[in-house]
Amino acid sequence: MDAFWIIVTGFLVASSAGMLGNLLLLRRMSMMGDALSHAVLPGIVIAYLISGSRASVPLFLGAIIMGVITTLLIQFFSSKGKMQADAAMGTVFTFLFAVGVILVTKYAGQADIDADCVLHGEIAFVPLQTSSFLGLGVPEPVWTLLILLGLVQLVFWVGYKGWLLTSFNGEYAKSLGIKTAIWHYTLMAATSVATVVSFESVGAILVIAFLVVPAATAYLITDNLKRMTLYILVQGLLSAVFGYFLSEWVGGSISGSMAVASFILFAGSFVWSKKRGLKSPL
Amino acid sequence: MDLFLKYLTLQDPNVRYVALATLLLGGVSGAVGSFNFLRKKTLVGETVAHSMLPGVLIAFLLSGVKNPYVLIIGAATSGWLSILLVDYITQQSKIKGDSALAIVLSSFFGFGIVLLTVIQSNYGGEQSGLDHYIFGNAAAMTPEDSTAFAWVSGLVLILVLSFYHSIKSVVFNLEYADAIGINVKFIDGLISFITILSISVGIKAVGIVMMSALLIIPPTAARFWTNSLVRLLLLSGFFGALAGWLGAFVSYSQASMPTGPWTIVIISLIAFVSMLFAPKRGVIYQRWSKLLLKRRINEENLLKTAVQNEVRGLGKLFNRRSISQRQFFEQRLWNRTVRRLRRKGLIKKVHTGFTLSTQGRSYGAEIDRRHKIWEIYLQRRMQMSINLVHDEAETMEHFLTPEIEAEILGELGLCSRFNPLLEIHELVPDNPINAL
Repeated sequence: MDAFWIIVTGFLVASSAGMLGNLLLLRRMSMMGDALSHAVLPGIVIAYLISGSRASVPLFLGAIIMGVITTLLIQFFSSKGKMQADAAMGTVFTFLFAVGVILVTKYAGQADIDADCVLHGEIAFVPLQTSSFLGLGVPEPVWTLLILLGLVQLVFWVGYKGWLLTSFNGEYAKSLGIKTAIWHYTLMAATSVATVVSFESVGAILVIAFLVVPAATAYLITDNLKRMTLYILVQGLLSAVFGYFLSEWVGGSISGSMAVASFILFAGSFVWSKKRGLKSPL
Repeated sequence: MDLFLKYLTLQDPNVRYVALATLLLGGVSGAVGSFNFLRKKTLVGETVAHSMLPGVLIAFLLSGVKNPYVLIIGAATSGWLSILLVDYITQQSKIKGDSALAIVLSSFFGFGIVLLTVIQSNYGGEQSGLDHYIFGNAAAMTPEDSTAFAWVSGLVLILVLSFYHSIKSVVFNLEYADAIGINVKFIDGLISFITILSISVGIKAVGIVMMSALLIIPPTAARFWTNSLVRLLLLSGFFGALAGWLGAFVSYSQASMPTGPWTIVIISLIAFVSMLFAPKRGVIYQRWSKLLLKRRINEENLLKTAVQNEVRGLGKLFNRRSISQRQFFEQRLWNRTVRRLRRKGLIKKVHTGFTLSTQGRSYGAEIDRRHKIWEIYLQRRMQMSINLVHDEAETMEHFLTPEIEAEILGELGLCSRFNPLLEIHELVPDNPINAL
């Protein structure tokens, strides 16, 4: 039963992160997942220090606020400060991460919080956090991740047309009078929520992997956005299953193994797409 | 203060290595980062740094010892592989550069985590400290580490100096470099090599994220101060070294404070200050010069309109209403502009309004003259319609320098003392073709 819940957790993270990663990939912002997952650290620590507990809601709030602040800062540095776009991102997230690590070190004595536990949540502990909601032995993280997945699906499908337009051709969307900035910030907020919710249960590295690898795998196979989302779900499921058994086999971290499994699937689709000559000039 | 002096004079043998090593590390990575910065590939460092984890661990597994040189070779090898893989993915598929970076980063690092957990559960004490390669631990630095830093700094310096001109061409203009016969692939590899080298020696001291920050932030800060490559390299190296050195001081003076994050916070502060206060490229300078420009344009518009009113025979006296018939001024803007002009002695207050001083009149006339010269130029040379030239000239009148003006007059075959105020008929009506 433990194996089942671990795989379910992996799949849930893959499907919500994958959907957002899809949009990040099309907008050429894939490194944003890496940046956000580092940058939200001070938000989590401050929220923890204020609320004094590890309850999820304040931590999520702290992380979301920090995620939006990160996006605003990057925007400000590159447009008002005239920093090169990639340098603005690199400067902001490493700075915030450093602040987070300093805060963690400073308050490590008073609190059972450390960078390891924030960034390297371990999926293996998921089955231990069982709550007896409705008399079912469903682990708590699974509930949280289910809610997250629901929200992500809602945001994705309700705004489907908008996402399509703003992701494929931002200039054209702007000329139609679509407020591209709002879509941008919505995506950033959603990404930071997804990042935080997931890395509490599976660790940062798996979130970063699931934010880009499944989407890239699907992107190599198809050009159709709807089909891409389907392939992402399949890819996520396979990564979770194979990753779990890989970790059983070598006796190492489950999250890391799932990331590796995901990459192997990507490599497969890469070879396949090369054989079929799908290299498009896009 | 005593503590600072003690730190400065390196009396404490424990701090000697750390201070020296972080200083060298900051300097080298600041300079090396400049090349990646100028090629707009700053995030390569982030991917390479993460990708080194499996290399370090495999080197440990193969050799069974934690010799820094062996681990550096392992780190450099997997860092190199990650760059090759990123290039391969972007060249052979439709995946873009940023996605390729993120894919390689997460999968190499994920693999590293798997290896780390396997090693941690199978090895006893001899593996402890390997996780320093993730978060870094400057305090645990040994004299051997500092020696390694010194070697690497020397090597990077020699390489950069001996290939300086080729590197410069490749960084600024790849096509040009290729055309003049520079081996672009070799220089490309060289830049990757020095990047990998500095990251591989640095991660153990400051950790992965801090290492990539040391490559990104110093050149970003330095870029605000200079346009020359030499100065960018020197300044970036200096900022990096300064931050490393101060960061080590913070962790020396405050027990349990980590060196890496403080170095990053300090270098970020340097970058923020540069962004705000640097001359020419800084935010404040740019805001200020924009404000000055706006003021000058308003002043010039007011003077010009007053002169035009005089020429039209509307009298020498003017006020907000009479000016606003041709050039609208809102009350507050009017007050401010008038105050500045009076202070400069360009206009005078008389009992019912204002009048131009002699200098003010010639200044306004000069602006009007430029306006008309530009209109004539647009119509005669650019074949622009008479209906459009006025709006164009409204902006250009503020930017024409005497040199450009002389050139235009020469090209139009007009006398340099040409004064359109006296020769009203210089603009001709459109002929039917121009009118289109």
